[in-house]
Amino acid sequence: MDIFTIILWVITGSWFIWSIIKDKKRTLNSIKMSKGLMGNMMGEIIGILFLIGLILTFIPPDTIKQYMGNSNAFISTIVSAFVGSMTLIPAFVAFPLVGSLVKAGANIVPVVAFLTTLTMVGVVTFPLEKREFGLRFTIARNSLSFIFAIIIALLMGVVM
Amino acid sequence: MSSIEQKLKNNRLLSLVIVTYIVLGILMPGKALQSLNNSLYYIKEMLIIMPVILLLTSLIEAWVPKKSIEKALGEGSGFKGSIFSFLLGSFSAGPIYAAFPVCKMLLKKGASVSSIVIMLSTWAVIKIPMLANEAKFLGPKFMAIRWIFTTISIFIMAYIISRLVKKEDIPSDDTLNNEETILHINEQCCIGCGICNKISPDNFIIENRKAQVIKKVVKSEENENIKTAIDKCPAKAIGYKD
Repeated sequence: MDIFTIILWVITGSWFIWSIIKDKKRTLNSIKMSKGLMGNMMGEIIGILFLIGLILTFIPPDTIKQYMGNSNAFISTIVSAFVGSMTLIPAFVAFPLVGSLVKAGANIVPVVAFLTTLTMVGVVTFPLEKREFGLRFTIARNSLSFIFAIIIALLMGVVM
Repeated sequence: MSSIEQKLKNNRLLSLVIVTYIVLGILMPGKALQSLNNSLYYIKEMLIIMPVILLLTSLIEAWVPKKSIEKALGEGSGFKGSIFSFLLGSFSAGPIYAAFPVCKMLLKKGASVSSIVIMLSTWAVIKIPMLANEAKFLGPKFMAIRWIFTTISIFIMAYIISRLVKKEDIPSDDTLNNEETILHINEQCCIGCGICNKISPDNFIIENRKAQVIKKVVKSEENENIKTAIDKCPAKAIGYKD
């Protein structure tokens, strides 16, 4: 286990013990709710994890490096941002997938663009958002999020 | 529909991957084994991080005083409003569409457009349990830098949008306080957490991962359980409609 995970476990563990002592019922109820939330995603999570294995077997790291690595970072960033806007998978599931691509040599700029638009820009949820907040708000929020996703990605490329 | 068929439909991706593995196992057993081995590392890592994230989400849900933040957010806007909506978004659970009704309610209570943009965006990208997951698979440094850039962007975005969109541009649907309105679940917003079913099994069931109202209830028949369920619903998907 890496140091980060250990720290996270220690903090959460102590908070949990404090919580159980303070209010057992409240703690357990809330765990039940999160379990329901996660249970809904479970199939997708397991599916993606096994999919990673397939990807890494059939698309060798060299190919990933070639396409998502150095060649034409700008275009692949725009493409990734579009793909991220269109898909609606929980970020929770996206992190291991994206992590495996980075490990195989993918450039982080398109990866960050994908991660940011994945959660912030929603083509699928657009009608829902429009109904609640109106067309003007929805267009402004989604297009600005898209632009900022690319800016964040480019800045990440410079810093990291 | 049989329950197996239903399960397949609900887990399309998983079923597809399993079928691929089976076909691969017959045609190229070597490759199938290699793929399994490749996945093993990620499955192991996920098993280590999943329980702690589940626990963290529950603890945040139980102890972060979201109700009082919501109240404070409704009263005033400005800098304080921005910070409160940032906190509220960071400590919430569920996908972005679960945030829509919550934001709508806050708008009605007096929150500003920029507060709503901040909350929606924070809710989408920088929730605390998600940050833990990101740090796990992409490294703490990656997570921290992305967090800083995203936070700055969100505040700039909120400013720009508050200039472009006025509150009057946002449609307001007046929830009728009519006693004849019927108990209703907004299925598109429901995240299927099952909390309403646990609070009031007489009124709500979970079907196909979405909550449903069992029998027709009009507002005048509302009881304590229904009230609690409406209040506790993390997606604010339960309400009345005529």
